[in-house]
Amino acid sequence: MKKILILLLIVVAAMGANAQFTKASIQASGLTCAMCSRAIDNALKELPFVATVQPDIKNSAFTIVFKQGQEADIDELKKAVEDAGFFVARFTITGVFNNTEVKNDEYVDISGKEYHFLNIKDQVLNGEKRLTIVDKNFLTQAAYKKYSAATGMQCIKTGKAGACCEKAGLASGTRIYHVTI
Amino acid sequence: MKKPFFVSLILVSITAAAQPKIGELSPEITLKDAKGNPVSLSSLKGKVVLIDFWASWCGPCRKANKRLVSIYPSLRDKGFEIYSISIDDDVSEWKRAVAADKINWLQVNENGGWNAPVSSQWKIEQIPTSYLLDKQGKIIARDLEGRQLEKRINDLLKK
Repeated sequence: MKKILILLLIVVAAMGANAQFTKASIQASGLTCAMCSRAIDNALKELPFVATVQPDIKNSAFTIVFKQGQEADIDELKKAVEDAGFFVARFTITGVFNNTEVKNDEYVDISGKEYHFLNIKDQVLNGEKRLTIVDKNFLTQAAYKKYSAATGMQCIKTGKAGACCEKAGLASGTRIYHVTI
Repeated sequence: MKKPFFVSLILVSITAAAQPKIGELSPEITLKDAKGNPVSLSSLKGKVVLIDFWASWCGPCRKANKRLVSIYPSLRDKGFEIYSISIDDDVSEWKRAVAADKINWLQVNENGGWNAPVSSQWKIEQIPTSYLLDKQGKIIARDLEGRQLEKRINDLLKK
């Protein structure tokens, strides 16, 4: 069994594109100034993959640099903001890409995670690129409505693969991040 | 192994007990100004003092600075001083903000942000946070703004 599993893992890794996400920028909103709160700063810094958290007054956002070689967890970052009593108004992640082909309204495997691209031109990503997460509660309601209209697929509502994805080999319930460029 | 545990417990309880409260005398603070010279809070004894925690990246703090700039000159002449503590990690950003906001009162920086010693001791949860001290260094009020702040300062100056 072990051999088969290892073999499978290698195949999956070879199929998917690789990119190292290096940093994120999160704009948080709430009743008070989000950057001015110790709670949110501490919550972000406590995440094991976070190296530094820097407030960015021009964009009213936090710039979060990830520890080198560590996999960042996008959902954990959002949860840290929400647990501190704020909402995410804008969330971008920056990564270094190497020949990653992306197509509009299709998902692609990047380093073992699924990313569904919306409102883009089909293209090949190379070098440093910034993606904006457009899943529900990762942006304002108005912006979310715009992006959710860009696909007929159900996964934009839940952030998870539906049964329809099983034909393509993606288990129902797999987390799919919806992104735009 | 028992000893180090005991020692660390003592340290924790001392820090917790030292959180400044309204009605108590303010503990001493000594931090460095833009030129690197240490400035002590106690050097302002005899003046009514506003301790103001802020940072260059904090929008509401910058707005509060503008309001303070307008009331400061006349109050200073009557014996009022502001002891501003910036929690900026980036010292050059701090200096730029001081220049941009035309701040000419006492400015010190505590590098290390929220978890640096003074911010931790005062349990600063958000900025701006300010404390108003009377001439004896007693903590009178917290987070006063606008007209209320001006009125309390004037009342304390008359005492």
